[in-house]
Amino acid sequence: MARVTLTSGEPGWRDRVWLAVLAVLLVAVTVFLVYREAMPEWREHQQRFRGDVQRRFSDRAAAAVPAGIQQICVSGAGRADRCTTCHLATAWRGFERADEPLRTHPAGILRSHPVDRFGCTLCHSGQGWAVDRERAHGHVPDWPEPLLDAATAERLLPGAGRAALMALNCNGCHRYEAVTAGAEIINRARRLVEDKGCRACHRINGRGGLIGPDLTWAGDKHPEQYDYSRLTGRRSVFAWHEAHLQDPRALVADTVMPSFHLAPGDIRALALLVMSWRRVNVDASLVGTLPRTEPQSAEERALVSEMAKGPGRWFVTTGCYQCHPVSVFGVKSPTPIGPDLSTAVDDVERRFSVPIETFIRTPSGTMKAVFARQFMLSPAQKDEAIRQLHAAYAEYQRQQAAPKPAKR
Amino acid sequence: MTRRRFWSLLPASTGEATEAILANFLLHWFPARMRSTSLAWTPSLWLGTITAVLFVLLLLSGLPLMVFYIPSTREAYQSIKDIEHVVSFGWWFRAAHRIAAHLMVIVSTLHLARVFLTGAYRNGGAREQHREWNWVIGVAMLAGTVVLSFTGYLLPWDQLAFWAVTVSMNIAAATPLVGPVLRDLLIGGREIGQTALMRFYLLHIVVVPIAMAVLVGYHMWRVRKDGGLARGDAPQDGVEVVVAIPAVARRVAVVTLATWLVVTVLAIVIPSPLEDAANALLTPNPAKAPWYFLWLQEIVADTTVRVGSVVVNGAFIGGVLLPTALLVLMTLWPWLDRSPAAVVGRTMPRERRTQVLVFIALAAFILALTVVGLLRGPSWHFYWPWQAWADVPARF
Repeated sequence: MARVTLTSGEPGWRDRVWLAVLAVLLVAVTVFLVYREAMPEWREHQQRFRGDVQRRFSDRAAAAVPAGIQQICVSGAGRADRCTTCHLATAWRGFERADEPLRTHPAGILRSHPVDRFGCTLCHSGQGWAVDRERAHGHVPDWPEPLLDAATAERLLPGAGRAALMALNCNGCHRYEAVTAGAEIINRARRLVEDKGCRACHRINGRGGLIGPDLTWAGDKHPEQYDYSRLTGRRSVFAWHEAHLQDPRALVADTVMPSFHLAPGDIRALALLVMSWRRVNVDASLVGTLPRTEPQSAEERALVSEMAKGPGRWFVTTGCYQCHPVSVFGVKSPTPIGPDLSTAVDDVERRFSVPIETFIRTPSGTMKAVFARQFMLSPAQKDEAIRQLHAAYAEYQRQQAAPKPAKR
Repeated sequence: MTRRRFWSLLPASTGEATEAILANFLLHWFPARMRSTSLAWTPSLWLGTITAVLFVLLLLSGLPLMVFYIPSTREAYQSIKDIEHVVSFGWWFRAAHRIAAHLMVIVSTLHLARVFLTGAYRNGGAREQHREWNWVIGVAMLAGTVVLSFTGYLLPWDQLAFWAVTVSMNIAAATPLVGPVLRDLLIGGREIGQTALMRFYLLHIVVVPIAMAVLVGYHMWRVRKDGGLARGDAPQDGVEVVVAIPAVARRVAVVTLATWLVVTVLAIVIPSPLEDAANALLTPNPAKAPWYFLWLQEIVADTTVRVGSVVVNGAFIGGVLLPTALLVLMTLWPWLDRSPAAVVGRTMPRERRTQVLVFIALAAFILALTVVGLLRGPSWHFYWPWQAWADVPARF
């Protein structure tokens, strides 16, 4: 073993100074950490609200103001909403004019949707887990459901207000209703769906055609699953639907969907409706007795069965009536987006310059898509179609030739 | 030896120093005496000690996370949200755990680089040394560090976790012969789900940490047995030796507190990301591997060749062949290095110029590929830092 010199190493005082400095810094950082944890954003709101309650009511009332993180467990929807940690006045009366987050929630809607059962995010969206403003309101990366607030509403639905935007979430549960009280923009869009005959091509809530895509759960389609290559401006699902409803061919080159020349307000309402068709995880404890299907109305069914007994029977049972009226046989269409078939024999000649026989066997335009995807007719059925159309035209000519009943 | 005037932490004799060490369990970690060169800041930079401190910090910060984390595909994501938002100091424990894990990968790699550049994996002048085996243990511990970090990656069960692991498992499956079996064994089935989460969780909290703890203990013991920092010359008379108490203990305390401080401050400053909940039906764009695998992913992407309709997948070259070759070469290097023993312990000596240059070139290459990988944006396109990514489409 070699002989050695025992020393205390490098100057010990340097290490001692380092040790002291580091220790002081570490204590300082730890104190900061504890302070930050002890003084979260929500504590300030809770203190202010307790003061407000004390001034307006009494010390006893102020003592009843809850302290700490508040949470509503919405077991029917598998959610935990902590919004009431700051929004303490939600269920209190007397703070209707206070500033957020300490304002009373409008009482009307809470009577049918009590906050202790429905929570907040089912209607408002946002990140119920978080307890600081920025992340709870959810306008942050990696949170796909930001709060449906006034600013977003103004950007998407100018002038319509926040409640209109929130109708999006109403329709999550109320989707099978014909009319939902308070969700005017959704009701307006639903009327458009009926009037414009969207179901002629699209299946919605289990009913409708197969020419376009099934729209029942269209709202679940992820933003990244849309093709934005032909969309200018902001790339969002809402913007895509807006542009698509305005002019479908501008976004989807080979589509057969026509432009319906809708007003901007109608387009926005429909875009919102399509986006609202999402699967919402709610059970019977929340949905209650809301309808769960959207069947054909009794009047419509009665009308169809009545028409199916008449001379236009074939047009009804085959399904042509969904888009085309056949007036000479008394066949009405619920959504007459196609021409009256009474004069089809003549009309086809004029529009396509081919006889009806050729057109039915080798159709072009919209009917090509219809015969390819929805009404797949065998050659024998097509022959029958040609016979029926000729019969309708003969009846039309007969009615034209017959003396009209004299008017008195 | 200075004479004690009043009172001092410095023991009066080597005997007293040894006794102090023997009498105290914690001090047992340290040798009674060590060369003053081993105590110096350079060339070791104390990187090994920093790595060990980070490992301890990871164990400590992992304990509270284990209390609140639920290893279930249904509840994992929600439990992380709770840790992040409502558990007292939860966000800090999570951030500290994450930062320390990233730092441990970085610092242990730097430690390996330092040992290579000083040739410290070889025995110097003294006898009874087995430094080459400690190098092998070190390489194993670096691999263990990466495995620890990687198994932790899946646990939050968010999109980042799910797809990083999906990408990596696809690469693992490209191993010849055993690939698919290895993959199935790791994830416990054909798809990444509950069984994969449970296996990764157990690897993360039980298997790998215990293995690492054993290796750390052996590594430290070996360093002591081999006489501290590697040197080319044999021990001579008159060499300066310091006693562990207080000099070494104090310096270890400085390194520990400094590491702790850095982790704490970074954990406060850098928030921990948590992406959308895992969705097996929706691939994020881009889907990236963890950053320490990005250079491999970059090679995988660049060596994937399309000739007509035939695709030669780069997963085998970049994901299996290259890292395995590197790992084997690294493990065997102490026996391949034929430079004179006298240069052991000297930083980048002229006698080892070629291997040092190759090592630096390789390190620069890996670093460059990592940076390129970090800068990749949607559809694996390259974006400069000042170029904005094509905006991610939103709902509204």
